[in-house]
Amino acid sequence: MADHESELLAPTPGARVSTFLKRKDVSQTLLLWVFFTAVFVVLGLWAYPKWMPVVLSKQMQANEDIMIWFTVISAPIAGVVLSIAAKSFLNMHRGDTPPEDGVAIRTNGPVVIVWTATSVLFCIVAIVWGLVALNTESIAAATDAPKSLIVDVTGSQWVWSFYYPQQNIHTHTLNLPVNQPVTFNVMSADVNHSFWPVQLGVKIDANRLVTTVAHADPTATGPLDVKCAELCGLYHAYMETSGAVESPTDFNNWVSSIQATGGVQQ
Amino acid sequence: MTTLSHAPASSRPIPNPKKSLITKLNMGTGIVVGVIFCWGTYFAMKAGRDMTDSHNVNKVLLMSMFAWSIGFLIGIGAFIGPFRWLIGKDLTDEEQLYLAGDGQGWKRYFKYCTDHKVVGIQYLVGVMALLGVGGTMAMMIRTNLATPGSHFVTPVVYNSLVGLHGITMIVAMIIVATGPFGNYIMPIMIGAADMAFPRLNALSWWVLFTAVPVLCSAWFLGGIPTGWTAYAPLSDQAGPGMNAFVATIIIFAVSTAVAGMNITTTVVAMRAKGMKWNRVPIFVIGATISVALAIPAFPTFMVAMIQTGLDRTIATGFYDANVGGSGWLYANLFWIMGHPEVYVILIPGVAALMEIAPVFVRKPLFSYNAAIAGFAGIAGLSVLVWAHHMYMAGWMPSLNGPFMVTTEFISVPTGLLFLVLIGTLWRGRPWMKLPMLCVYAFIWNFLIGGITGIYLSDVPADNYLHGSMYVTAHFHYTLMGAALTGAIGGLAYWFPKMTGRMLNERGGYISFWFIQIGFNVLFLGMFIAGAEGQPRRVADYAHLFAHANLISTIGAYSVGLGMIILLWAIVHSWRSGKIAPMNPWGAKTLEWTVPYPVPLVNFDQPPVVTSDPYGYGRSAK
Repeated sequence: MADHESELLAPTPGARVSTFLKRKDVSQTLLLWVFFTAVFVVLGLWAYPKWMPVVLSKQMQANEDIMIWFTVISAPIAGVVLSIAAKSFLNMHRGDTPPEDGVAIRTNGPVVIVWTATSVLFCIVAIVWGLVALNTESIAAATDAPKSLIVDVTGSQWVWSFYYPQQNIHTHTLNLPVNQPVTFNVMSADVNHSFWPVQLGVKIDANRLVTTVAHADPTATGPLDVKCAELCGLYHAYMETSGAVESPTDFNNWVSSIQATGGVQQ
Repeated sequence: MTTLSHAPASSRPIPNPKKSLITKLNMGTGIVVGVIFCWGTYFAMKAGRDMTDSHNVNKVLLMSMFAWSIGFLIGIGAFIGPFRWLIGKDLTDEEQLYLAGDGQGWKRYFKYCTDHKVVGIQYLVGVMALLGVGGTMAMMIRTNLATPGSHFVTPVVYNSLVGLHGITMIVAMIIVATGPFGNYIMPIMIGAADMAFPRLNALSWWVLFTAVPVLCSAWFLGGIPTGWTAYAPLSDQAGPGMNAFVATIIIFAVSTAVAGMNITTTVVAMRAKGMKWNRVPIFVIGATISVALAIPAFPTFMVAMIQTGLDRTIATGFYDANVGGSGWLYANLFWIMGHPEVYVILIPGVAALMEIAPVFVRKPLFSYNAAIAGFAGIAGLSVLVWAHHMYMAGWMPSLNGPFMVTTEFISVPTGLLFLVLIGTLWRGRPWMKLPMLCVYAFIWNFLIGGITGIYLSDVPADNYLHGSMYVTAHFHYTLMGAALTGAIGGLAYWFPKMTGRMLNERGGYISFWFIQIGFNVLFLGMFIAGAEGQPRRVADYAHLFAHANLISTIGAYSVGLGMIILLWAIVHSWRSGKIAPMNPWGAKTLEWTVPYPVPLVNFDQPPVVTSDPYGYGRSAK
């Protein structure tokens, strides 16, 4: 323990830091910190893009970015916690009698301050990121409104149905043109449901006699899964349908085919 | 406030107030009177009513359930004291000693016993039973979800399992640490002879006990199809089983209010001489903050349930949009309770581990003040974050930003809890016994739960994750991975004081690894399923999610096996384990200064405290 004690006698803060970093337990903890931080960074960069569905909208991209980058940003903090815990775990004492007492460190003012300040900073980054994303989305919803495709969504136990007022068609699948904003006006015919077009990364509850609104900007073509994300009774698990984000031509053809059958999808 | 004499137990005669009604009453008489009240109410109310009308059915069932609870309490003698007060009298000293269970052996566990140690054991056994039932339901849920298209149970049964598992586990987890340890250990830790209100202490347990058969009755009345959140209007639509949920919550809220007042008063008013606030053990601080948080939280849930009950019985329409009500009213009331409740569960578990870490690392608790700031900060902020559960409800989207800010900020006091633990571990050589292993498991699990909570509190990310399996995994990491691990650590640590025997080490270690590895496999699978887009609470799912769900189910079976081994270790050790010395861990808190069995009034002489209990360690100089 002599090297531990010498730090307390070091004459200047710089020298104390230098002595601190030369300690074996500190260098081992730093190595563990690098390992755990790297694991979390890799996890964020690799796992979420692999696990999450294909990105079909700006909103889904924003979701995925948060999952990835919050993991990366939190990695160094998680690394501190895990490296200190792991170092202590590896230094374990076994047996039926307790080990000799450790160093009596009651507190350490600078460490508490730095830790708290780091937490606050991380917290502010998360808040600012979230508020900017939220604000961007709100502005986009307002400015896109005049050119938006409108879809009235109704949830009822246990089916989704859609009405496109501009095209005057009723459907049970959700087809959307790419690169055109869409506004969903959502209601329920009975209990609460939650409208979730998965690959669009938006979600809003369907409530009885109240219209809720969600907005999406489809940016890529591909198949779409629509699910219910609120427990709504017996067949909640089966309250799902499909659809697609498709080219404007394909969308118009799809609309025409339904209009040709009286405006109701067969 | 009832107090007992400090005379040593050996010098007191065994009380035997033969003429008193108190001696005739016990759990058996409570059940008999409760059943008579229940069926009497049922038949009396049913007579002449149109039982094809669901409102009438709900009225009859709800009143019958409350009648059971009141009848049981009358039958066990809970109201004898208050009745005496009404006629200007009170229990005699001999009757009070009898109520305290003095000299009654095992029979006192089945009576309205006011000894806090008896109540602590009652809570411990009750918690284990609830966890066993809730865990069995979890195994059934995971079995059904092992493969897509499974028909292990029908959708009706599945939804009931989800609801009953949820509420059973929530009730169990709320009392898992403050029930057994808050009642048995905490008064001794602060040097008190008993709780401030011993009769209320017994009342809190037996009121809770009456809720258990009520909750079980849901299974026979068609189940709870709403999940434990019981959102309206689905709860209005639900069948007779929903009444059991409503009655359970109302009864449980009474129990928690009584227990919360009692624990808070005890800590404020009955600490030993010299135990200033900065000398109070951190577990006591955590348990007190937890129950103080519960005091305002659960009445809100009670109000929400009373209104659900009124909607279902006399069609008041609080939550019915057709007549001007709103489901958002329910959602707000529910989550005003619901988010503080997470911390009511979490804080005592963390505090127990903070009590454990210094003992096994042989170092002082790092930054006691930061620990208190962490608990207080979490408790304060937790009442301002409820609507993050409603970002996607459509209720007041303009409040999503402010609620995101308050929610994200809760990570700052939470970070202090990590700092206290890793600061205590730093440069330490931990004595690797089961309680200490739980500290490490907690750090890992709570870290995962905490980081994933940061995603979920961010509105844009929650757009995707809300209502998915990802949320289920996140809150299990905090409630099970963190809080239950803390409670298991607390049990392993205080088992010698509560039973007089050491917990079987091999059984404890084996169960620990089965539980912790299984737990992480289980919920890693669930994180993947959620990220892939699987909604929660579904009885079936698409093939896309098959691998993740199979992984989860394998992990769940490992947890189940680990829990069975832990149960065996507990029962075996309790019956025939190694006799524990008075202070097996060399700890410095007051509970380790009393022998087993702990005397009726805990200390032969009231203790005097001269320092905090964390005086471990040697000087660095």
